[in-house]
Amino acid sequence: MAFAIEKRAVTKWLEKLLEAGEVVAPVRTPCGDVLFSTVRSAEQVVWDFPNPLHPPKEFVLPQTDPIVKIRRNGQHHEVEAVHDGTRRFLFNARSCDARGIAFLTRMHEMEPADASYLRRSGNLTVINLACVTPCPLGFCICTDSGPFLSDSYDAQLTDLGKSYLVEVGSAKGEAAVAEAPSLFRKATEDEVSRRKNLEVAARNHFGEETCHFASAMRRISTGRVPDALWEKMGDWCLECGGCNLVCPTCYCFSVKDLDRDGTWIRCRLRDSCQYAAFTLEASGHNPRAQRKDRMKRRFFHKVSAQYYTRDGAVGCVGCGRCIKVCLGTTDMPAVVAAIRKGKWHE
Amino acid sequence: MVTVPTACPFCSCGCGFYLLAREGQLVGVAPSETHPVSEGRLCARGWSAHEAALWGDRLRHPLLQRNGKQESVSWDEALDHVTARLKELMNAGKPVGVLGSSRATNEENYLAGRLARAGLQTNNVDFSYYPICRPLLEGIAEVCGKHAPSIRLHDIASSQVILLTEGNLAETHPRAASSVLKAVEKGAHLITVGYRKTQMARLASLHLQATPGNEGEVINGILAAVLDLGLQDRTSVPIGYDALRRDLETVNRTEEVRQAAEWIARAERAAFLIAPSCGQGDQSRKDAAAFAKLAAITGHLDKPGSGLLPLLARSNVRGACDMGVVPDRLPGYDPLDDARSRERVQDLWGKKLPPAPGLSAESLLQSVSGLIVVADDPPSVVPMGQRAMAAMERIEFLVVLDAFLTPTARIAHALLPIASLAETEGTVTNMEGRVQRLRVATNPPGEARTGWQVLAELCGRFTASYRSASDVLREIGQAAPGYAGVEQRLTEDGWGGALLKDFDRAKLVVQPTRTTGLAALTSVERPYLLARDAAFDWGHDPLVSFSPTLRRDYQSERKLFPNGFVEIGKADADALKLSGGRQAKLTSVHGEAMVPVLVRTDLKPGLLVVPYTFRDRVSNVLGSNGVTAVKVERP
Repeated sequence: MAFAIEKRAVTKWLEKLLEAGEVVAPVRTPCGDVLFSTVRSAEQVVWDFPNPLHPPKEFVLPQTDPIVKIRRNGQHHEVEAVHDGTRRFLFNARSCDARGIAFLTRMHEMEPADASYLRRSGNLTVINLACVTPCPLGFCICTDSGPFLSDSYDAQLTDLGKSYLVEVGSAKGEAAVAEAPSLFRKATEDEVSRRKNLEVAARNHFGEETCHFASAMRRISTGRVPDALWEKMGDWCLECGGCNLVCPTCYCFSVKDLDRDGTWIRCRLRDSCQYAAFTLEASGHNPRAQRKDRMKRRFFHKVSAQYYTRDGAVGCVGCGRCIKVCLGTTDMPAVVAAIRKGKWHE
Repeated sequence: MVTVPTACPFCSCGCGFYLLAREGQLVGVAPSETHPVSEGRLCARGWSAHEAALWGDRLRHPLLQRNGKQESVSWDEALDHVTARLKELMNAGKPVGVLGSSRATNEENYLAGRLARAGLQTNNVDFSYYPICRPLLEGIAEVCGKHAPSIRLHDIASSQVILLTEGNLAETHPRAASSVLKAVEKGAHLITVGYRKTQMARLASLHLQATPGNEGEVINGILAAVLDLGLQDRTSVPIGYDALRRDLETVNRTEEVRQAAEWIARAERAAFLIAPSCGQGDQSRKDAAAFAKLAAITGHLDKPGSGLLPLLARSNVRGACDMGVVPDRLPGYDPLDDARSRERVQDLWGKKLPPAPGLSAESLLQSVSGLIVVADDPPSVVPMGQRAMAAMERIEFLVVLDAFLTPTARIAHALLPIASLAETEGTVTNMEGRVQRLRVATNPPGEARTGWQVLAELCGRFTASYRSASDVLREIGQAAPGYAGVEQRLTEDGWGGALLKDFDRAKLVVQPTRTTGLAALTSVERPYLLARDAAFDWGHDPLVSFSPTLRRDYQSERKLFPNGFVEIGKADADALKLSGGRQAKLTSVHGEAMVPVLVRTDLKPGLLVVPYTFRDRVSNVLGSNGVTAVKVERP
């Protein structure tokens, strides 16, 4: 079902959403960055922006995520789940991030399901702004996660100049529209066809970043990437973990208890499989002691057919964040190209 | 969610990011694409920069030691007690001192210096990392007058040549290493000088093997080759080339060294990066001077996009120097015996300053009766850690201001809790000379106050008082001329901070100094060299040791090797029939020690290296040296 909303009415819709729950949207900081943050007013929301470097997965899988509280009670311990039942609207997310959250949700729904994550994602309405102009480093076209989506959103907005086309993709999306039904009208056929044209035009305007997953997948799934290549690439990684921390589909974590006046809050901390100590065992043994082993693991998980079969997608939504954030030069397109060609920096 | 832009508290690259806080509690870090240093990138430490303040053992209440126990008291009681006890010691003619810190802000350091010099009337003021970087900074100052004309970290990425004498850049300064990688990717020639085949050395066009503590020999070789080839830039530095040439006559010029000289001299843009070495003070100073001379005579201290960066370990080493918390320099890093600088500071403070230089950190710990330590744990920083700890335990009255419960804080007679870097306002200066603001993301825990406030109150009891951190920064602008107007510029510029003006390039001085190469330490009897790795030990820094994500590596290393280890090359280990984990007996002129070995493939024969964190395990063997000749035996 497609609706349309006039641009001047969007503020009113946002005001209604702000009454109904928390609104998370890209905002410009005084330092000039654009970050996903909770907004207090509709005016804060940015409409013309490159995709923020810090992904909105922060609002389903925070960097520090309290899971349970543990209190001592005499001889016993009381354990209480920490509920984050806040109704949230993720407004103006980009298509890749909407796809990223859908990926994370699928993963966390697998048995045993992750109640803490699902509570948050269940209360989150994802409203993405389709990318009429692809971002310079994005390659979502290679991962089927943009520039426009056909699913994975609750509502998708397309900028049609004076109005936005609003495609509703779920009951949560319907509910978001229903917060201010009078602001929306049924989209005209012309509006729907303009959206289609915009999508075609956007698909033809991608930058130079490409990522040929298929041939890389063939090589990595059949163990045909030589060890020497991983070793070579390992020297171009500075183990910052940035690729994992900003990746819309990464979910690795470690667990740590935070002492707050006698109450222990068990937290899930976002972690990186590129850190040497991530797989360090209590005995001191580390199955992935060398950087090449950790890199191999990361890309096997992201690109192999084995995981593609399980997850139904490669572990990448083509947002291009790892290109910007990598302290070294081992971002997704660079490594996929190296795997495909069997050589690095030659 | 609150997002607060601030500067990274770890190394001196000075990256910027946002601290994220929810319901008054730190929850994470977000990168900033607009920050001129980090440009959206952060290292592992930066990504976990919120953790120590959140998870650490934080100090919440002022404590005074009574009957062998630290007891909670009110702020007034604590400050009155500290003042009274210090005055008592001073009246009794006992020496007192103050240690600032390269992990504290400029404001905290400035006030610490003023408290020492104007309040306690002593030049016994230093910070614990200074003895390690002092030879490096003084060597550079010999050529450049003060700080070197700096290259921006961003510009390193477009260098054509990079000369790097390093400990392990990828680990110590990942942001700088990132620029080096980007330059190499674009085809730059990377020349590494060092004793270990590190990650950077593996990527280098040329790795010049050096003896630990004598990297200058290689640098002098390049210098000599530049003169041999007649490639010096005659326009930039007026020097006596003949004298310099004579001085370098005996220096060894290999084919590789000649190649390096050509690349450096012919480059339009070259970056010179130098880390503190493990050598002895005088030798290290000369080596650093040779390094700066090479940059100067090839004209690279006079070209846009070229420059020299000393790789200082902690975030505010440059700031601590500029605030004058060192025994023989005043705010502005001006020499204590410079009449005009003395007058400037004396006029500002309205007090006559003691004339003689004070004691350096290590001697100061050994000899003062009263000591104030600001945000630091000296035993984990100075080369002889155990000796420093033993000395601190003997101090009659030890005052510690810190956010974290460090080993030093545990033995304090007066413990004053201050805000962590996430909870305080103030400024820090990175190694480029970029002054950046810290901003308050959350409130300090319990009764903790900001460090500048506590120091201002102490200052008030001895000398002057301040109303705000900006007040202090304004005064810094008067005391250290380079910081004049910084307070105003920071208000206007916001992100990215205020870059200090580079030193006047016209003032470069290149004097020949005798290149006395390190005498061969080894002998038939003691054929191996044992070197103390100069890379800073982050594992004992509270910002790492209290971070659940960052401490894992260090913790497991110490768990696996409770008695420490020394690293040895594969060939030597095979020849001595030593396998990993086995004890080796090391004997030097100073003494002997039994210590397990770890076999490495990146070390040349004839060399053993002890990581900085395990230095005290072989202090019997090393003595006070950074390098010594040893006999190695399998017991």
